[in-house]
Amino acid sequence: MSELRAESVTVRFGGLTALSDVSIDVPSGGFVGLIGPNGAGKTTLFNVISGFILPWRGRITFDGQDVTRASASKRAAMRIGRTFQKLELFGRMTVLENMLVAAEAGAKRLGLMTDLLHLPGRHRAERRSAGIAEQVIADLNLGWARDRRTADLPVGSARIVELGRALCTNPALLLLDEPSSGLDSGETEGFGALLRRINEERGVGILLVEHDMDLVMDVCKKIHVLDFGRVIATGTTKEIAANAAVRAAYLGEEADEAPASPARR
Amino acid sequence: MQAFLNTVLVGLVTGSVYALASTGIVLTYKTSGILNFGYGALALFTTFVYWSLTITFHWPVWLAAALVVLIVAPAIGFLLDGTLFRKIQGQPIVIGVIATVGLTVLIQGIVILIWGGQTRGDVPSLFPRAPIRLPGGLHIGVDQAALFGLAVVLALGLSAMFRYARIGVAFRAVVDNRPVAGLMAINTRYVSGLAWAIATAFAAVTGILLTPRLLLDPVLLTPFIIAQVLGAAIVGYLRSLPLAWAGGLFLGVSQALLLKYAGSGSGIGDLRSAMPFLMITVLVLLAPKTLRVAGLGSSFIVKTREVTGHASPQTRAVIGAAFFGLLALGPAIARGSISWRLSLTVGMAYAIVFLSLVILTGYSGQVSLGHTAFMGIAAFTTGHLVADQHLNVWLALVFGALAAVPAGALIGIIAVRVHGLFLALMTLAFAFMAQDMFFKQPSVSGSNGGIPVPRPPGTASTNAFFYLVLAVLLVCCLIAINLRTGPTGRVLAALRDSEMASRSLGINVVKYKVVIFSISALIAGLGGVLASMVTEQATSLSFIPFLSLAYLTVTVVGGVFHVGGALAAGMLWGLYPKLFGHIDIMIRLENIFFGLGATLALARNPEGLFGEFRWIGAQLRSLRDREPRRVAAPLPVAGGQE
Repeated sequence: MSELRAESVTVRFGGLTALSDVSIDVPSGGFVGLIGPNGAGKTTLFNVISGFILPWRGRITFDGQDVTRASASKRAAMRIGRTFQKLELFGRMTVLENMLVAAEAGAKRLGLMTDLLHLPGRHRAERRSAGIAEQVIADLNLGWARDRRTADLPVGSARIVELGRALCTNPALLLLDEPSSGLDSGETEGFGALLRRINEERGVGILLVEHDMDLVMDVCKKIHVLDFGRVIATGTTKEIAANAAVRAAYLGEEADEAPASPARR
Repeated sequence: MQAFLNTVLVGLVTGSVYALASTGIVLTYKTSGILNFGYGALALFTTFVYWSLTITFHWPVWLAAALVVLIVAPAIGFLLDGTLFRKIQGQPIVIGVIATVGLTVLIQGIVILIWGGQTRGDVPSLFPRAPIRLPGGLHIGVDQAALFGLAVVLALGLSAMFRYARIGVAFRAVVDNRPVAGLMAINTRYVSGLAWAIATAFAAVTGILLTPRLLLDPVLLTPFIIAQVLGAAIVGYLRSLPLAWAGGLFLGVSQALLLKYAGSGSGIGDLRSAMPFLMITVLVLLAPKTLRVAGLGSSFIVKTREVTGHASPQTRAVIGAAFFGLLALGPAIARGSISWRLSLTVGMAYAIVFLSLVILTGYSGQVSLGHTAFMGIAAFTTGHLVADQHLNVWLALVFGALAAVPAGALIGIIAVRVHGLFLALMTLAFAFMAQDMFFKQPSVSGSNGGIPVPRPPGTASTNAFFYLVLAVLLVCCLIAINLRTGPTGRVLAALRDSEMASRSLGINVVKYKVVIFSISALIAGLGGVLASMVTEQATSLSFIPFLSLAYLTVTVVGGVFHVGGALAAGMLWGLYPKLFGHIDIMIRLENIFFGLGATLALARNPEGLFGEFRWIGAQLRSLRDREPRRVAAPLPVAGGQE
């Protein structure tokens, strides 16, 4: 069981309250959407869950354990994976190397001496992580880009590489921060199918922040709506689509905002 | 009480010059984001021009000072802005560090070329030195009073300009948001050029005011000014003029008091010279998080020219074997010349030091301006273990190098909290404090400034020692290559490219930073001990902190991303005096050569000399494969595609 719960999370930056008493949950293996206008606090909530920001109040539990004060790397070791809204690939490394780092980070520690002196243990460890990395590369159809530097990839492929890198750590829960931004509509559709496959085949729970409403409505089973740092609605896709408050806060503006909203680089 | 007050008064006067000096460095940091380590060197150069005009050409002091401060210095500042600073603006912070350090080396080279290496004690003062009696029995020189007054007037003038004049408003706009300021029809080039011009003028004023009471020394003045200026400016975290002023005054007064009441040799080392660095250490560690992590996430060096493809592993192994094979034949080839063999040995010992910088900077994107501290700790430990404990020299060598590891680990822990520019400052402060508080102490470096560091038994002869250093270098190279190609190296590269993503994958940042600084310190320590064994002694002058800057510069010239770059840098460093020793002008051009090399390298080819080799290799490969050139054109914009 690897259920995520955020309970009454409040975050303040100076005088600004970015999140106010926010509670959400992602069931084990669930597929949950998190939507809301720009500045609603979605990325802040992600950073609280993955350990990059300490909340002012509230707590985060994962797998039944309180992880509110655990470091980001500790949480990653507990199998919470994430991607970033602003791509954070290791730009000067190849796609394969990006995957390898992740696979090795999730593996048992290799002794430093074994590594530096090239003792036999290093070879075994490398073969194991190479297996994981190559498998993910094959799964995501990234074979063509395997030996390219990630800084040279188009945004669409880079998003998939970032997703694959997170998969290499064998996460139980994936936090995806606007994975479709920078993708064209065809790519987005393919991306949605990919996410569903990851959710269903690997049993990975997914919390998805997304601006593309078609994608969210298509793949998510449950949705939380944030506005001005508060949860204004929670429900199934149908309930959210019908919710008046959501329409007013978000969907209603979507049509007007659409051309300007690509807060996409 | 009277003596105390008088000491404070004198301290205030000196402090006001520091304050004035820090104005220049804060000004350019605010407008361009570049911390100008070349500031001291600019002061040195302009003061020498002033010295020439007054002493050699007998100009009246005021005319000479006016020409230097109002025309020569601003012209230099404007020129540097156009040719160098504007090109590296907005690049990762470390680029600015290396470029301005290269500038320091370059300017010092030019000064020594033109004026020679002698210290000048006859810089004429602008003001008479006659004492003034003040109420309360205090007294102060006319020159000191005038100096204080001048410093205050200049500071008030600058702040008035910032506040009221049109150009001041333009300045503030550029500081806030350069692109938007540009859209608002502010000529940002003009503004940034003006900032550098004013800053250089302040450097000139600083030199001209300080040197009549100090000495005009082509080697020592630069680090002295940089130390005081950084100590003062750090009080406002390099951004606030009023706070930098307060810092300058505090520094001046505290140093005067320490000189009067603590003296030197009080057991805590030379606290007075270490003062600015104590201030840097304390304030940086206490800095608010937004400042400490400045530069986080920006990967270290943006390549402007990418050589595609690599030589095959076989080719690389063959080239490496050929290089080391040729080196091994060195003693046979240079049979007739001990000095050639010694130069080669020196080159290899320093190649080990440069290798520690390749691992730290090239592989991991960390920066250290304090590697002389690691070298010194290792060398002095080895010397003392042999002299005091009569330890076997082999063991002493190992324990000496290991002694540098805790220091490295400490810097590694600090590097978790502090990034980029402030980390560079911390490591520089560390090297200065190690020098002032330990290496200079008679209990460490002996009563006559040096202790013996004998060669291990069986390697006393020039040839045997040559092969010892060769063997250590080879082992270090293999370890470095293993490090880069293995899991640890991948983690280090990952940390260099994105610390945030690394943490999100479960990588323990603290552990790896401690590991990398420890390994780098260990290797630097080994190099330091071996370099000392060449001359068989370690002196307090062997590990002058400013040499750290030179080492980083030379490594960048050689190629900071590759093992081969460290080897190239080591050979350059060791063989330069031999290759060009018979040409007097070339010896004197050495600093210019390396300084220019580093600044050019960053502007054109960050991979350095080794990058040129790789480029040639790529050309050869494409010839062989009969394909069109596979060398990408220079990218116009830093950062690649997004």
